[in-house]
Amino acid sequence: MICAGDISASIEHPLLERVTVLANDRVATGVGLIALHAPRVAARIEPGQFVHLRIARGSSFLLRRPFSVHLAGGERIEILYQVLGEGTRALAARAPGEEMDVIGPLGRGWTVPDGAAHALLVAGGLGAAPMGMLVARLADLGVAASVALGAPTKERLVALDVFEAHARRVVLATDDGSAGEHGFVTAPAGRLLAEDRPDVVYACGPEVMERAVARMAADAGVPCQVSLERLMACGIGACLSCVVATRSGQKRACCDGPVFDAKEVLWDASEVPPRH
Amino acid sequence: MPPKSPRDTDRHHEQGSRTGPDVESSVTDNQTGTVDLRVKVAGIELRNPVMSASGTFASGFEYAAFVEPSRLGALVTKGVSLEPWAGNASPRIAETASGMLNSIGLQNPGVEVFIARDLAWLSTWDVPVVVNVSGHSVEEYVAVVERLDAEVGIDALEVNISCPNVDAGGMAFGTDCSSAAEVTRRVRAVTGKPLIVKLSPNVTDIAEIARAVEAEGADAVSLINTLLGMAIDAHSFKPKLARAVGGLSGPAIKPVALRMVWQVSRAVGIPVIGMGGIMTGEDAVEFMLAGASAVAVGTANFVDPTATLRVIDGIVAFCREHGIARASELTGALRG
Repeated sequence: MICAGDISASIEHPLLERVTVLANDRVATGVGLIALHAPRVAARIEPGQFVHLRIARGSSFLLRRPFSVHLAGGERIEILYQVLGEGTRALAARAPGEEMDVIGPLGRGWTVPDGAAHALLVAGGLGAAPMGMLVARLADLGVAASVALGAPTKERLVALDVFEAHARRVVLATDDGSAGEHGFVTAPAGRLLAEDRPDVVYACGPEVMERAVARMAADAGVPCQVSLERLMACGIGACLSCVVATRSGQKRACCDGPVFDAKEVLWDASEVPPRH
Repeated sequence: MPPKSPRDTDRHHEQGSRTGPDVESSVTDNQTGTVDLRVKVAGIELRNPVMSASGTFASGFEYAAFVEPSRLGALVTKGVSLEPWAGNASPRIAETASGMLNSIGLQNPGVEVFIARDLAWLSTWDVPVVVNVSGHSVEEYVAVVERLDAEVGIDALEVNISCPNVDAGGMAFGTDCSSAAEVTRRVRAVTGKPLIVKLSPNVTDIAEIARAVEAEGADAVSLINTLLGMAIDAHSFKPKLARAVGGLSGPAIKPVALRMVWQVSRAVGIPVIGMGGIMTGEDAVEFMLAGASAVAVGTANFVDPTATLRVIDGIVAFCREHGIARASELTGALRG
């Protein structure tokens, strides 16, 4: 299905690039960071965009896996991934020097509103993954960033070093209280929203967290962007697996998102679209 | 060399400058050399036997960065219905061993938007266009076919009587000889365009269905659509698909598809378009040996957006290796 506007828009089409594993390390409990030599994707990728990674060939799982790019620089991209199933277990086993291929850059990433002086980033768990490039970009643009970073436990906090390097303020929360505040990240997020009066809020994490942050931002009258996660097959807009219900109709997370304006998202309907 | 189309073959070069392939992998030019890839199906001459399978390639726009539509034997669009369909609830896909389940539910913008947007774009390319038609009722199939019959940019229609993912219509028409025959008869009456009927594997005897649609004037049959399946997440005690059941595709279904193509091609006189788990040129050759005149590549497009080109190249390589001058010689060449 061709989206309205797609045909006339001067979209930059994605690349199919063979990449080489540079490093692949465990960085937190159940979380890996893989660095890939991907010069063409690295040169073009924007914060919040993703790549569609073919992890293995000749295995019993066929499909690619979409991963947001955590950091990019020079000819290198870095991906944070949680080991959840067959695909990510295979990814964790890939060794430096091995080759894969990626399609990318894909999707619409974060946008920085004109004139923004202060941003709030709210990340839950692996929701920090698409925010590494974002916090670095904000620093480049001179936008002050506050970060609320949450995880189930201290051992599962990720990307703290990146946030601390670029943000003005980082507040932690863990479900078990082993680091930072005891409880969900939405509590410090709400406080930072009131104290720092950001011009824009960025949220990524479990959908229930994103929805809560979107509500707080709306109540405060601050624009909010959310990065949504969906199962994807093609990753390029053809298969319609990754639909998101929005106020302007059904959108595809892969090419209309994954970053959406939070007030456009129909949160309940996004799980249960109308049946014909 | 591919046949010259009556359409302006230069137009795609302008398009190509915007969305031309930018693929670094080892996709080679489709150097056919001495191998003649042309095949004829349902009265249409195809420059090679490889089509896109409906629902896996949209209308080709999203793939144009990887595959110029004019490289394909034919471009088969995603199913189009009379009115817009919203499709099913999410999750709509689940990965399974060597395959995947989908229950997209034929989400599409309806025939008018399809004509104005997708077909207008497709018409700028030199490629035979096959439009896949969906309906909840016989009347809806007829209405969509009547509407599409008026469009010059369409080379053939593929009637989908085999989608397992809609509540009314869809597969229901393809699992019974009399309803399959009725849909075929009714749409045949309102179009002079070549008519392909896409068959469901979820039947006891697919050859019987094929004979029924042939008798009502189908110019070709395409098979197989997906196999009805299910995946369960034991940890949550829930089905993986929101709709519980969906259609299985990918290499997992290839043996079933080959068997059915073989059975149908022996039962009917019209051409068979074979599909079901084709990932490589050799897979495509197997379908042709089983009796297919052409093939379609589906799930493979999701894995590798250049899959159709690799399959074409693979057929060429196979023919060269085996000293076969014309790809059409492969059709039904299975030895005893």
